[in-house]
Parts: sequence; C-alpha cells; structure tokens
Amino acid sequence: MNRKKDKGFESPRPFKLTHQVVCINNINFQRKSVIGYVELTIFPTVVNLNRIKLNSKQCRIYRVRVNELEAPFIYNDPTLEVCHHESKQRNLNYFSSAYTAAVSAVDPDAGHGELVIKVPSELWKQGDDLKVLKVYIEFSLDQPKGGLHFVVPDVEGSMAERGAHVFSFGYQNSTRFWFPCVDSYSELCTWKLEFTVDASMVAVSCGDLVETIYTHDMRKKTFHYVLPIPTAAPNISLAVGPFEILVDPYMHEVTHFCLPQLLPLLKHSMSYLHEIFEFYEEILTCRYPYSCFKTVFVDEAYVQVSSYASMSIFSTNLLHSAMIIDQTPQTRRCLAQALAQQFFGCFISRMSWADEWVLKGISGYIYGLYLKKTFGVNEYRHWIKGELDKIVDYELKMGGVLLHPTFSGGKEKDNPTPHLHFSIKHPHTLSWEYYKMFQCKAHLVMRLIENRISMEFMLQVFNKLLSLASTASSQKYQSHMWSQMLLSTHAFLKSISNVSGKDIGPLIKQWVDQSGVVKFFGSFAFNRKRNVLELEIRQDYTSSGTQKYVGPIKVTVQELDGSFNHTLQIEENSLKHDIPCHSKSRRNKKKKIPLMNGEEVDMDLSAMDADSPLLWIRIDPDMSILRKVEFEQADFMWQYQLRYERDVVAQEEAISALEKFPTPASRLALTDILEQEQCFYKVRMQACFCLARIANAMVSTWQGPPAMKSLFTRMFCCKSCPNIVKTNNFINFQSYFLQKTMPVAMALLRDVQNLCPKDVLNFILDLIKYNDNRKNKFSDNYYRAELIEALTNSLTPAISINNEVRTVDNLNADVRLILEEITRFLNMEKLLPSFRNTITVSCLRAIRQLQKNGHIPSDPSLFKSYAQYGHFVDVRIAALEALVDYTRVERSATELQWLLVMVQNDPAHYVRHKILGMLCKNPPFTKTTDSALCNEALVDQLWKLMNSGTSHDWRLRCDAVNLYYTLFGLTRPSCLPLPELGLVLNLKEKKAVLNPTIKPELGVSTVMDTPASIGIHGVDEEPDPISLGVCGVGQPPQGLKRKAETPLGSPPEPGQILQQQDDDARGGRYKIRFNTMEDEDIDMETVHDSQAFIHHHLNLLERPSTPGKEPPSVEQTMLTMPSTPAPSFSKETTSLSSKHSSEHSHHHHHHHHEHKKKKKKHKHKHKHKHKHESKDKEKERERDNSHVYSNSPASGRSLRSPSLSD
Amino acid sequence: NITRAVMSCGQFRNSKAASSPAENYHLARRRTLQVAVSALLTECGFESAEKAAVETLTEMMQSYITEIGRCAKAYCEHTARSIPTLPDTVVALIEMGFNVDTLPVYAKRSQRMVITAPPVTNSPVTPKALSAGQKRTHPAHIPSHFPEFPDPHTYIKTPIEPVHNPFLRDVERALTRFMAKTGETQSLFKDDITAFPLIAARPSTIPYLSALLPSELELQTLEETDSSEQDDQTDSENTTGNIINDDPGADKENSMLPPSGGVPSTKASEDNVIDNPYLRPVKKPKVRRKK
Repeated sequence: MNRKKDKGFESPRPFKLTHQVVCINNINFQRKSVIGYVELTIFPTVVNLNRIKLNSKQCRIYRVRVNELEAPFIYNDPTLEVCHHESKQRNLNYFSSAYTAAVSAVDPDAGHGELVIKVPSELWKQGDDLKVLKVYIEFSLDQPKGGLHFVVPDVEGSMAERGAHVFSFGYQNSTRFWFPCVDSYSELCTWKLEFTVDASMVAVSCGDLVETIYTHDMRKKTFHYVLPIPTAAPNISLAVGPFEILVDPYMHEVTHFCLPQLLPLLKHSMSYLHEIFEFYEEILTCRYPYSCFKTVFVDEAYVQVSSYASMSIFSTNLLHSAMIIDQTPQTRRCLAQALAQQFFGCFISRMSWADEWVLKGISGYIYGLYLKKTFGVNEYRHWIKGELDKIVDYELKMGGVLLHPTFSGGKEKDNPTPHLHFSIKHPHTLSWEYYKMFQCKAHLVMRLIENRISMEFMLQVFNKLLSLASTASSQKYQSHMWSQMLLSTHAFLKSISNVSGKDIGPLIKQWVDQSGVVKFFGSFAFNRKRNVLELEIRQDYTSSGTQKYVGPIKVTVQELDGSFNHTLQIEENSLKHDIPCHSKSRRNKKKKIPLMNGEEVDMDLSAMDADSPLLWIRIDPDMSILRKVEFEQADFMWQYQLRYERDVVAQEEAISALEKFPTPASRLALTDILEQEQCFYKVRMQACFCLARIANAMVSTWQGPPAMKSLFTRMFCCKSCPNIVKTNNFINFQSYFLQKTMPVAMALLRDVQNLCPKDVLNFILDLIKYNDNRKNKFSDNYYRAELIEALTNSLTPAISINNEVRTVDNLNADVRLILEEITRFLNMEKLLPSFRNTITVSCLRAIRQLQKNGHIPSDPSLFKSYAQYGHFVDVRIAALEALVDYTRVERSATELQWLLVMVQNDPAHYVRHKILGMLCKNPPFTKTTDSALCNEALVDQLWKLMNSGTSHDWRLRCDAVNLYYTLFGLTRPSCLPLPELGLVLNLKEKKAVLNPTIKPELGVSTVMDTPASIGIHGVDEEPDPISLGVCGVGQPPQGLKRKAETPLGSPPEPGQILQQQDDDARGGRYKIRFNTMEDEDIDMETVHDSQAFIHHHLNLLERPSTPGKEPPSVEQTMLTMPSTPAPSFSKETTSLSSKHSSEHSHHHHHHHHEHKKKKKKHKHKHKHKHKHESKDKEKERERDNSHVYSNSPASGRSLRSPSLSD
Repeated sequence: NITRAVMSCGQFRNSKAASSPAENYHLARRRTLQVAVSALLTECGFESAEKAAVETLTEMMQSYITEIGRCAKAYCEHTARSIPTLPDTVVALIEMGFNVDTLPVYAKRSQRMVITAPPVTNSPVTPKALSAGQKRTHPAHIPSHFPEFPDPHTYIKTPIEPVHNPFLRDVERALTRFMAKTGETQSLFKDDITAFPLIAARPSTIPYLSALLPSELELQTLEETDSSEQDDQTDSENTTGNIINDDPGADKENSMLPPSGGVPSTKASEDNVIDNPYLRPVKKPKVRRKK
C-alpha cells in the first residue's frame, strides 16, 4: 500500500482516483434536464478490488462499465428519507441520530458512497498487478432539485433571449448531486470537462478552456476544459447561460461573466478586482495558483459567494453601477472572500471535516488583512469586534462552537457537543447558523495565532503551505505527492512550530479543541494609600457556552501620566490583581496627557475623582481572548474613554456602556463625538442611537431642541432656511452615512407621552419633502429608504378604544401623513424602481409596523403579493419577514401553511432557506409556549419536511431541523397524543411485545413499522463486534444506537403487500405494507448471529440501484429476485431497492429471519404483477447464499453474480 | 377607391394647411373639385347646371370630404397615431352612414369620366424648419428613397436644464394616483379601498433587471453631474479606455465612471491584443469520415 508513504494521509478508499472526465452532452432548459457521462481513472491500492463506492445523488444511472465491461451496481441513498415515514417517533433526538447515521453511511471521507459498483470478476481475478481501472458511468438528471439550479424566465423568445441559465450550487461537498464522483475534499484528481451547449450560450467551468468546437449541425458548441491541477470533486462547478463576456482589462487571464444587459454594471463592479489579486499575491508571496480565473454572476444564487477551482459563482445582485455607494464595499468584500478561498479551500483543500477550521480560518484571516488594507484599521477593528461579539453572543446563547471535533472510538456517546440538537460530525448535519459561527470563530482563532506568533511568521507559514502544494500539484500522480495539497490541523500546527519555533499548543487546546468562550466580570478599586489599582476579574465558566480561561491577559490603564499596559496572569484561584499606578493624583498641574499612541491632549479633568489618577481601564484591549467583558467603571471614565481613547473598539465599548448613564455629561460626550469629523463614522453612527436612548431616559429633564436636530440642521440644511435640507451631495461618504443614520435615530426619540415628538416627525417629513437628488452623482435610494425607516421608527402604538376596527376615518393625523408618504414612495417605485428596490423593502417594513401598532388593519394579503416569485429577492424577503411576523402575532394557521408551502415549492433555494430561518428567529410559538398552532398535523408536516422533503438540499434540511427544534424541542412534541408504543419492552427478559392496541389499518396508505423497530429506541444493546468493521460495507462506526432505532432494512416479510401505484406513468412504484401484525413475540436473544450479519451486510450491497427522486416508500423488498426482471426503467429500481443504509439494523434482519419462519401463517397479497411470494419464501433460506445484482436498469435484465463473500 | 379616400384626406389636410399663404393653390383645388362635381352631374345626365347649383354641390362635396378627413383623423388619433390609415377612413365612412361595400363597384363603373389632373400650381411651400445639427445619414439597411432622418435634436436625448419644479411632489402624487386609478390596486383599508391606493404588485419575469439597472432618469442625472463635474478626459476614457487601459492611475477614475450606456462595447479591435480563450473563434467541427 503505497498510501502509507504519504505523510499523515490515509485514504479511506481501496483505490486512488487520478483523473476524471465529466462530459455533459445535453442540457435541456425546457425540461430542465441534463445528460452526460463520467469516466473515472482509478488505481486500486488493494489486490482484488471488487467494489468501488462512489457518490451520486439524484442522478439516474443508465449504465456502468469498468474497462469496457458492463458492471452491475447498486444505488442506495439513505438520506433520501431519514426515518421511514411510518415511524411515529417524532422526536428530534431520534431523528438527529438517524440522520447522522444516514449521512455517515454514504460519507466519502469514510470511503462510503451511494453508488456501489461491482468490479467485473474478470478484472479483479486477474491477479495482483495493480492496474488502472476506468469506470465509465452514463447518467442523466431530470429537474434536479439540488446541485444544479435552472433559472428559466417565463417570457417569449429563445432560451438565450430569455436569459435562461443553469449553475451548480451546494453546501459543502454537493457535487454528487449533479454527477457521480468521489465527493470528498480529500480525493484529488485531474479533470477533463466537456459541456455541449446551445451555440448562443457559454459554459463556464473549472480549469483552462482549451477549445470550443461547433457540433456538426453548427447549432451547438462544445466547451473543452482541462484542469491539470489536482482538484477535489466538490471544487468543480459549472455555469451555463447566454453570458456577456468581459475580459478583465488589467488581467487578461481573468474573465467575467454576467447575464444579458448587465455588462455596464459588470464593468464597473469588476474594475478593482485586480487590486485584490495583487494584494493576496503580494502578502502570500505566491502567484495565484490557477492559470485563469472566472467570475460568473447568476440569478437566484444559493449563496452570495461560492468558490470553486479557478472560478467563483456570485449572486448577480452584487453588481452595481457607479452611482451606488452602499453596495460597493459589500461587493468588494465578497470578491475578496472569493479570492481568498481560491488559495485556501480550492487550491489547498482540507484533509478531513475536522480540518475545515484551518482553511476557513486562513481564508478568513487573509481576507481580514485585505479589509485592513483597503478599508483601514478602524474598519478592520470594528469588524473584528463585530465578529467577536457575534461569536460570543451565539455561544452564550446556543452553547459552544467546536472547531476541531475529534470522535474518539467513533461512538455516538462521545458526542463532543451534547448541547446541540444536531451532530457536528458532518458538515451536512450542521445548522447553517452554527456553520457561519464556525467560520467566524475559525478566523478569530487564526487571528489569535497571529497575535501569538506575529504576522510575518503567519504569512511565512501560508507561503510554505502554498509552495508545498504548488510543487505537489505539478507532480504526476505516481509520485504520491498530491496529498501535500491537503491541509490538516496537524500539518498546519507543525508548520507553525517549524516556522515560528513557538509552542501554540495551549492556545490550540483552548480555542480549537475545546468549545466555549470566556466571560469576564471586572471591577476595580483605587487604593490611595498604596497608590495601587486593585483590579478584580471574575469568570463565569459554568454557564452554557463558556469555558475557563487560565493564562495571560492584557490590561491597559490610562493614567494622568500616560497609558500603561500590564499583563496579568489569570490563574485558578486568583481574582484580585494589584496594579501599581505610575502617577500620583496631581490634577492641579496643567499638563497635557499622553495617550497610548503618543499623542498628547488637553483634557478637562474636572469630572474626575480628585483622589484617583485613573482615567479609564481596558481589559484585553487587543481582543486576544475570545471573551465577553463586563467591566464596571464610573460614568466619567467611560466618557473620557469615549472622547480620548483613539481605538474605535474602546469608543464603541464606551458608547454601549454610557447607555446606562443618562446624564448631561454623557449627552455632551456623545454630541461631541458626533460632531467630531476625525472620528470614525461608524462610531458616530452608533453614538446617534445611544444619544436617542439617553435622551429618552432623560426626557423629563431634557433641555433644548430634540437630540441631533440642531446638529443635523447645521450639517445638512440650508443656512437661510433651516427646515429645508440642502440638495443632496454624497461626495463625502462619512457625512453621507451620518446623514442617513441621524434621522433614523432621531425618530426613536419619545416625549413624556411616549410619542415621537411632533417637531421630529415634521422634520423628517420635511426631509422627505425637500429631498432633491438631481445634482447628486450618487443615487439616494438608500438614503430615502432610511428616511422611510425613520418614519417607521417614529410609530408608536395606536390608542385603541374597545378594539375598534381600524378605518380610514379614525386614522391619526400624523399617521395619515406617514401613510401618504409611504403610499407615494411605494407607487413611485413601480414607475422608477430604485436599486435593489430598497424603497419597497422599507415601505413593506413600514406597513407591517403600522399594522402591528394598530394604525391600519392587520392584513397579510399585501405581503403575500410581494412575496411571490417574480419580485426582486430583497422585496420577497422583506414581505416574507412581515408574513412571518404576522403569523406569530395573529397566530395564523393559514399564513403558516402558506409559508410552509412556499418552503416546499419555491423555485429559489435562498428564499426557502430564508423562510425557515426567519421562522426560527421569530417563531409562531416555541417549545415552552402553548399555541393552538401546535398540533399533530403541523408536527407531521414538519417531520416530513425534514425527513424526506428536503433531501436535495443539506442546508434546507438542517434549517427544517432547526425549526422543528425551535417549535417542539428535542423530545416528542407535547401536542402529540401519548405515544402508542408499538413495542412493549421487557428489558430484563430482553423481550419486546407488540402493543396489542395497535392494529394496522388495512388498505390505508399508512405504513406500519416493522415490529422490531417500533419503540425500542434507547435499548442499550451490547456492541456487536462484527458490526464494527468486519464487513466494511458502509458500516458507520457509531452505528449501534442507530441500529436499534432504525426502522429500516429488514428482509421481505411474508406479510407484505407489494402494491403497484399506477399514478406514476413511467413505471410502477411499489409500496409495501405490512399486512397484519398480530401480537408477536420478538426474541431479543437471537440477535447476535454473526453469520447472518455478514450475509445481511453482503445483501445490502446487492440491491438494485436507487436513483429515485422521491424517497421510496418501500420498507423492504425483494432481495432475491433472480427471476424478476427489473422493470423497464431505472425508476423502478428505485422502488425495488429499499433504502438500505448500510447500518440498517442487522438485528432486525435477523429477527425477521427468525420470525418469518413462524409467520408463514400470515396472509400476503402481492398485487404486483410479478407474483413471486411463494418463491420468496422458498428462497428465504437460499438468500444467505445467493447474491443478486440488479443490473443496469437500462439493460433491463438482472444477473446473478458470485457472492462477494466468496 | 383607396386612392380616393386617401386623397380626400390629403385634400382636407392641405386645404387646412394652406389657408393664407397659398391662396392660389387652394383655389386650384377648389376648381378641381368643381370639375369633379360637374363630371358627376354629366354622368348623371345633366347637360347644364346653374353656377349657383354647382357651387352649392361643390360646397357639399367639400364638406363631405372634409368630414371624412376630420373623422378619420379623429379615429387615428384615438389610437395614438398621427397619420390616418385606410381602416380609419373606412370606419369614418361607415360612421357617416356610407355603405363601403358599394364603393368598389362604383369605382369600376363603365361610364366613369376621367378628370384631368389639377393644373400644376406651386404647392404651398412649408416654411423650412430651422434645422439644427447634422442630420444622420441612412444606415446601410435603409434604402435611400426613404425619408431622411429628422433633426437630431428631435430624437436624440439632449440634456435639459433641470427646472426646479416646486410641485414635483404633487405631480408625483397625482401621477401615482392616476396610475393607481387606472390600474389594479391594493388597499390597506377594508372600509375605504380608495383611501391609500397602492399600485398592485406585479411579478416580473426577470426581476433583477429593473432592480439593478439604473433608470433612465438616474442615468441622465449622472451624465449631467459628470459633464459638469468631471473633465473631458474621463469621458473619453469611458468609451475607449475600458478594455486595454493599463494605466494604473486610471483605475481610481474608472470606479467613479458611469456605466457606458447599455451597448456592450465592441471588442473587435482589442481581439488581436487580448488572448483570452473566450474571445477565440469557435472551431468548426472536424469532418468525420464515413466508414
């Protein structure tokens, strides 16, 4: 086994993939279908390679050939339907473990796959020379629900004129959704990609476009791509459409693609990409690894940015013209992210899922460096603070985020994150929110490493990794160097220690191997006699999501004499730290005060405590711990900190702290900051909102005009007529952002009656009235949207008398004015739409607020019309957000249904994902509240959604799981009737008895569980040695619990009904029901029969393929059907094969053997035309020896093959 | 009959157009009409007629034709066109109680008299409009006998000095109200659905286009601010400099530039400069030999 030479990387597969051809020779936009083939070149690494496992989902496989020989195969996707729907469990614990097991069963990182190909015996019997195998697979995709997304606008004209396009997408490794492959980030190979598309279209894919050739009829052309750099299948992508092509004017090897008519926007938006390139190449001292780069902008994108080898797919909504201010930095950020991931993520790929954090961390880190360079240090620190706050809030609320999970022993019990309702073992079981936080934390930890070893070393490490990878990438496969392109945690840490000579072990242990953040509480006292600052730092490490910190912490103390850094050691039991002060209090001397940055300033020290030389204290100012600090210091100290500390993070902390001190002094400090033009604009913006809150707290003593009004007037209004705003001129972005924010904050002001002051409202209305953008070179759409938001913020609940119906007549006069404006804005938008329809978005929010506050009747119909497919996505999301809110407030079952239907049917994946996300954020009810909405039908519906309705989209499925968790919690939903436990267990006797109260309904399509699988959840069984790895047939290591729970995979029952469903025109689908199940004793003792186990495992292999789009409703079917020809098309094989995840309960298999013998008395009706029940029984005994492959569905025959156990 | 109808229209328009400057012309037409009336009379068997009678008949004829023209023009303008077409005239005739079906037979009648063409008189010279700018020549696909382009200012957008309209908001409100009244609406209130009419939300097939592309108005604003604030150099860069401009200094400027119209700039000239696989010509398929 040559693999062992590869340092650290052990392939889970008995072969090595070296090259893959993907050829898609037809893309039909009308039917949304794709036909093609793949050819994988593999080198076996074992003697007698007899099975090849590949990943494939959704694809319909027509034939498989290995070295020109027809090869039998089976296709089995246990994730299609996680728990068989007859399960009445309905508890999330059960689902999550079943789902994890299903994902594990086909996990390419463990060497598994949905598609198992049997190598024809002629090939593997040839002996031990390890020769090349070429695996050729023909496949098609029909209306794919995942993996590829077709956008086909419903207008007149050819597909190109309509702007129809298709592109690949997915969350993590999802390439298996559109072609068979080894869908692992660690299996690298070179690629040849061919796409034949309509002559009016362009196919953009990974690698170099070698040539484009017309087909013979000249109506189509074939794009030939070659990717010589070894690349993992998940990094392969495709986009086809009538794209407009823009060659980057600065870098001719970079090409940009956008949809028709958007070229001017593309030109503008891409005009700075070369700067990002230059930046990365410079800091990494490494050339961009691929010979070309392509950006494609598509509609209905799954995520804003997704990076693949040598290309990135973006949302078309990132494109903008030069008139747009707010979108510009966002688009630049997205480009920078995409490019960072080209180096780390695409070129260098991860070795395993546990190493994901390294790649996300590095790409996030270098992206951060770009932000620092482009947007400045203030922006960078502001961003870091934001990221830190985000991860801290998330972990404290939801529990820890673990970067580098290890699964020792592979047992489910060792779950490192028991607080979560999902498993973190696979990317595909993660909640999206968790994954976002994971990336955020990974980057922050990378920054912590930088703090520890310096940026120079950090960049040297990256450079080293890239050089290694690029040397490896140019090698031929045989040199076994390719695994150098995979990055593992271990290799990364080793590289760090080699380069820097520093031991970062403790840091890694704290933040990478452990989850949680640190929560500090700080307070201090000044001891005048000793001239010592007595600092107390306590920690909370018992709450969820926290951990204990031991180690150094930096404290910065600003004294009268200057700023001093102290490094304290946080130890187990020491809470108090004495810090000697440098200066005596001597405030009578007039002297400038030196700041940290060397600046010396005059301060008015009158506010200070006369006895203390302390101006302010900061704990961990560099954010070198992932922590939350709650620090207590006097209000004047916060005010000094706000005014004089130059670090924006300190200023922002001071602003949040000042909210608790509504005093004239705080007001003054905030107003000063607001007027301070040198101050970072985001700090000033934050100050606006703080000022509004302080003003409200001081409402009875407030002097002068409403907060910010005079300032705004001075800055933005005409000198002669202060209520009229100047003609817009947004050339100075800082004041533009301030101009946008101030009215929004002002509208939050309240008078003593808790109403928005009349003059504030009039002021905002005047701003709208006199808004004039004609002389401005920038669009004012965001500004106007903010003015509408200001109107929204001014709303207060209506005074309602006897819950009267809201009518036009009793409309409040102020609200009438607001409504006038909103109506006008919304109507004008129809005539002159604004960029990204920002105005409509704001108007919809305003209308919902008006409804919620009882000014206008609460009514969902307007939002429903804006939520429809065909509106701009931002508008839809805003409308849906309003609907979600309506659903919660009005407890409307109809609207909830409407939303859930949209989750199932909407063409845009992003919208479906968003709806579930918003429902989780603003749930109609929660597990702790009672609601009429919570009923059995809803439970069933959501269960179905996550169980089988979302199998085409990992992200959506996890969203559904999240929603289920939010609504019902981990256990059985309380609204369900008491579980009628199918089985009564007697643990002592290890006997289970079918609950006699359950009588399966005959003729109703409800499908009963197999007796052995009902309700024995949680039975603690002895581990079976055989199930742990003897068979190696997709047996997940942790499968024991799963086995007991899974109601799957038992051999055919005599009592089953095979029923042909005639609704499917393409062929029969069969539904099998257990006919009658009378009380049956199940002998738990008979479980462990190793012989039977092995055979069942082998059986699993030999079931026919399952390319079904719908989860087969089959519990179990004919294992032995040598005489049964597979019906005419692959669809049928779906039904014939059941979904046998390999971990399917072996116990149960065995049970059934046992009882089948007893059950012969049971009647069985096979309505299916192939009546072979009798054979079935007869063959039962035979089954263990006979192994049948159903051959290619296309060939329509099945063949017997020698048992694999031979 | 077609010619007659059209002619009548033409006459009507001419008679109106040439009120004072071309009295002669007008009279000549009138005389032709008189001849026509006389011919008709002859056709009907009259040998002579009193002048006053002929005059009266001529007057009636003229009124009738004028009415046809007026009526046809009204129909035409109803459908937002400016030149009446045959169907307009037909409808006009029907409206006036004339059985159009009889017209073809009447036109082909045997005893029809041929009237000589009206004497050539100087047709009234429409005073030449002040022409401004260079007229565009016909592009290759338009035959040269087609009318030439009008003055550029009549169809090419020219910057208008924005006039501050203090009633802009009222205009906007009135416009949106009008739109709301004439189209489908949505309402926020159930008791009075006309109170705050909202133009109904209508899904579009390609929603991102209108949401991303700047509107005409914005583009115009941009052009104006550009022409007033930026120097000419940037304008020329905008049109030509985008593709092969390697001047690093231009970058900053470029980011401020407006998108250059809606027309993708032709890359023909750059093709030989840039070697990008997507710009290369598509190859012809290799001819496969039949076995």
